[in-house]
Amino acid sequence: MTKELEHSFVELLEKHQNIVHKVCRLYTNNYDAHNDLFQEITIQLWKAYPKFRGDAKFSTWMYRVGLNTAITLYRKSKRSIKTQDFQGVEFKIKAEYYDDTEEEQLKVLYKAVHQLNDIEKALVFLYLEDKDYREISETLGITQVNARVKMNRIKTKLRTILNP
Amino acid sequence: MDGLDLLKKDWDKESSKKKLSVKDIYPMLHKKSSSIVKILFYISLAELVFWVLVNSLPYFTSDSYNERLDLVFQNDYILTGLTITSYAIILLFVYLLYKSYKSISITDSAKNLMESILKTRKIIKYYVLYNLIAAGLSLIIGFYYALHNTPNTAIDFSNISDKKMALIIFVITLITAIFVLVIWLFYKLIYGLLLKRLNRNYKELKKLEMD
Repeated sequence: MTKELEHSFVELLEKHQNIVHKVCRLYTNNYDAHNDLFQEITIQLWKAYPKFRGDAKFSTWMYRVGLNTAITLYRKSKRSIKTQDFQGVEFKIKAEYYDDTEEEQLKVLYKAVHQLNDIEKALVFLYLEDKDYREISETLGITQVNARVKMNRIKTKLRTILNP
Repeated sequence: MDGLDLLKKDWDKESSKKKLSVKDIYPMLHKKSSSIVKILFYISLAELVFWVLVNSLPYFTSDSYNERLDLVFQNDYILTGLTITSYAIILLFVYLLYKSYKSISITDSAKNLMESILKTRKIIKYYVLYNLIAAGLSLIIGFYYALHNTPNTAIDFSNISDKKMALIIFVITLITAIFVLVIWLFYKLIYGLLLKRLNRNYKELKKLEMD
């Protein structure tokens, strides 16, 4: 039974792993920290999995567990080995596909998003994942109005950074 | 183009990167978690055991302690009553802690999750506070009984001048204050470090409500 459960869980996680990677991408800025957070989210997902009911979408359920782990449960890894920055690596790869200005803008944007606080990052994450304000407010435990107001402020903030 | 729209475009493309295989994921399930709830759980367990030991070890190991207890509490009912009450209180705390750990759910909203963790931490705080107060009270009561009920010490203290008595009381108060301060700092440090991030994010969520 446990083996079956494990199997079904791993298959589902493998399929939807990008959600976890994206959470890690927002909340960490080096390779080791990324893996560390991915590991912790996986453990939390696995621990909560027996209670997961099929009526909710697996991905929706993952958003919650992933964000809660990043915002609340996770303690930053002690091994803070300074490795190459993610952005650095990605932008080198992307240079072939994007024109300079867009690439440059993205670089600035990612940097700006990384400087937001944990709650703002959660809002940006859910927004980027196309979640509506109802889901955003339920995930974070704030009202829809507050979520909307805060999101607008973040947008303005990012716009000013991009077009000073 | 809006800043976030640009980001979104890139965000979706980003999805296809960094693939882990099923084989990579399996071992991850069996690694140890380092979540703050787990650490909090171990701390509360250590607190429970520590204070139970502090309260009951002398009772079981030291004969002279038992003799003194018998001397102080000549009335057996009081001693039994106190022992039962103190264990009942410990059991109550165990129950409250168990209940509050059960209520911590990772699938709750972020705010509810934070609140249930903070509530658990509060129960541990009250438990420590209760033990400190109980320890302080028994010190004072013990001192009082030693002064009035034990023949040997009663004589000793009657020879001490008022000035010296005041000094003794001052020194005892000072030692108690330093002791409490050290314990308080110790807790501040442990919980401060452990819950720093949680407290910061909880404040941020609360601030959103105020705006």
